[in-house]
Amino acid sequence: MRPLASIRGRLLVSGAVFTVLAVTAAALTVQPALDRFVQRNLDTNLHTQITLLARAINPDGSIDPARIDEVGPFARHMGGWAWSITGPAGSLRSKTVERLDPSAPGARRTGRPPSDVDRRHAHDRRPSDRDAWRRRFRSGENESFYYRSLTVDTARGPVTISAGAPRFIRERMRDQGVRPLLLTLVVLGGGLLVAMLAQLELGLRPLRRLSQSLARVRAGEQLRIDGPQPAELRGVVAEVNALLDENEAALARARAHVSNLAHGLKTPLATLAVRLAEPGRDPDGALTALVAQIDGAIGHHLGRARAASPGAPGRPAIPVRERLQDLVAALARIHEACGVAAELDVPEDLRVTCDPQDFDEMVGNLLDNAWKWAAGRVWISGAREGARVRLYIDDDGPGLSEEAAVAAMVPGKRLDEQAQGHGFGLSIARELAELHNGGLTLARSPSGGLRAVLVLPHRSDTA
Amino acid sequence: MRILLVEDDAPLAESIARALREEQFAVDVAADGETGAHLGSTETYAAAVLDLGLPKQDGLSVLRAWREQNRALPVLILTARYGWTEKVEGFKAGADDYLTKPFRVEELLMRIRALVRRAAGHAGPRIACGRLSYDAQLGAFEFDGMPLRLTSFEWRLLSCLILRKETVVERMTILEQLYEGDASVDSNSLEVIVGRLRRKIGAEMIETVRGRGYRLTAGEG
Repeated sequence: MRPLASIRGRLLVSGAVFTVLAVTAAALTVQPALDRFVQRNLDTNLHTQITLLARAINPDGSIDPARIDEVGPFARHMGGWAWSITGPAGSLRSKTVERLDPSAPGARRTGRPPSDVDRRHAHDRRPSDRDAWRRRFRSGENESFYYRSLTVDTARGPVTISAGAPRFIRERMRDQGVRPLLLTLVVLGGGLLVAMLAQLELGLRPLRRLSQSLARVRAGEQLRIDGPQPAELRGVVAEVNALLDENEAALARARAHVSNLAHGLKTPLATLAVRLAEPGRDPDGALTALVAQIDGAIGHHLGRARAASPGAPGRPAIPVRERLQDLVAALARIHEACGVAAELDVPEDLRVTCDPQDFDEMVGNLLDNAWKWAAGRVWISGAREGARVRLYIDDDGPGLSEEAAVAAMVPGKRLDEQAQGHGFGLSIARELAELHNGGLTLARSPSGGLRAVLVLPHRSDTA
Repeated sequence: MRILLVEDDAPLAESIARALREEQFAVDVAADGETGAHLGSTETYAAAVLDLGLPKQDGLSVLRAWREQNRALPVLILTARYGWTEKVEGFKAGADDYLTKPFRVEELLMRIRALVRRAAGHAGPRIACGRLSYDAQLGAFEFDGMPLRLTSFEWRLLSCLILRKETVVERMTILEQLYEGDASVDSNSLEVIVGRLRRKIGAEMIETVRGRGYRLTAGEG
């Protein structure tokens, strides 16, 4: 899956990009500030040393070695810091000095404007001297050193005092500051990413719950999406529920239309049948047979038309046993004269995912058939087998030969013109079963009669 | 035996009523649910044939109303609603039988007769009383094994008595089963009909219980 195809991926990518940008920007702004800090620190050290050395210069230009004082890094001779005093009376330099001389080859002036350090030192002087003092500091670099120098006028001529720090010391000091800072920024960035992942997990959980809820609706375990929802999802949930309502209403409307159509066709047909039964109207029964044929065709096609669409969500899971008990009770009344005894052996918790009316239609037709042919007993049993439910409807009637069983599934084919019904029952049951991803097969019952095996999905595929 | 037929389709109602009267039944026809509900809860019928899709009041609610009023009259639902779910609903509402349109007239008649017989507490289709026997499936009487020819009034009276044989049937009950709702009832005519029946099956079989009604008896009690 492309990362931007998911909300999680989008948020993650954009969040990561922004975090990296922010951390980089922070690193980039912090580094110059740190550079300035290091530079100032360095200059302070050099100025202090130069100021101290300036005290050793007598007004006549001579140098008093006894008053030479070394501070801080200059006192540590291994550190590579160095100083020098050059004047008309000769020159004096620290033991560590090497090519400190600004006039040595490779030296160049940086032309840096006077730093804050210069200004601070200027404050120590009298205001009239401040500018002159500041102007006399120079800075420069050569291969080994970064240095500051001061020229002092004496009676015998100018004396130049220089103090230098090894060039690498600036990088080292900066690195010492930058490294932990960068590490901190990296840790911060990583922390932000982890927090973002946690936030995404938390924030997207309702979406995952919603999708599970929808799956349950499709599986028929619940009719609508319910339970508390975050404000952002309430609109979606309301829309989905409204869609489910509409779907159900559309099915109800379609069924009402079909029902009206059935009523509109069957009532005059009934009148016709009653009139034909009057003496002399239909002596050979041919017209009555036609009425029966029309009725069967209406029943079959309207039966198909009123079937629920198989993919429709919001289909409840049906408690099979309860539904069968109602149907058996109805059939026992309708066929009271036959005196058929029914045995129901179906687990209490057996459920199928199927439109309830379609279920009634399938099982009702199969039971009706069993009742018509049974000598005295009908057995109904059922069990779940994995994702499917098998219902067995057995009777102790004459049963069907293989060819007859095939023919029985053809719409409009009547096996026995004497038995009531119009030969559409089994074919409707089969078509409905197939519509619901199930099936119907006819076999020989252990009791010798017919066995109808109705297979229905235990639960619709949520994939 | 008087039947209540609640059916809004006039041609069908007329055809069914004619077929029922042909078979000696007295028939009251109601063309809408409200009238049907009213007749069913105020008059006494041997059985009702009830359509479901009715104007003013739906058939199922008519049936439920009767059952709530403890009206025990046997009800056969006769409807174009052929779905099994609707059939189950019908039985749950208190129907005794369910027949879908179109139907065969003989089947309707058989089912009505069976309903009336079972409501009177007879398990089998043959009811005998002395030399008289009644085939509750065909609605035919035999006397000494020979078919008994009866007029409509005679048949209504005799079937009413034989279903409650050996018990006294009140005059009012008999009159309600004899005449259609809009017929003018002449109470003297009941004696005339009883007299004609006594000539056909023997005077001793129909006892007059003064001030109450009549009893059909085989004479052993």
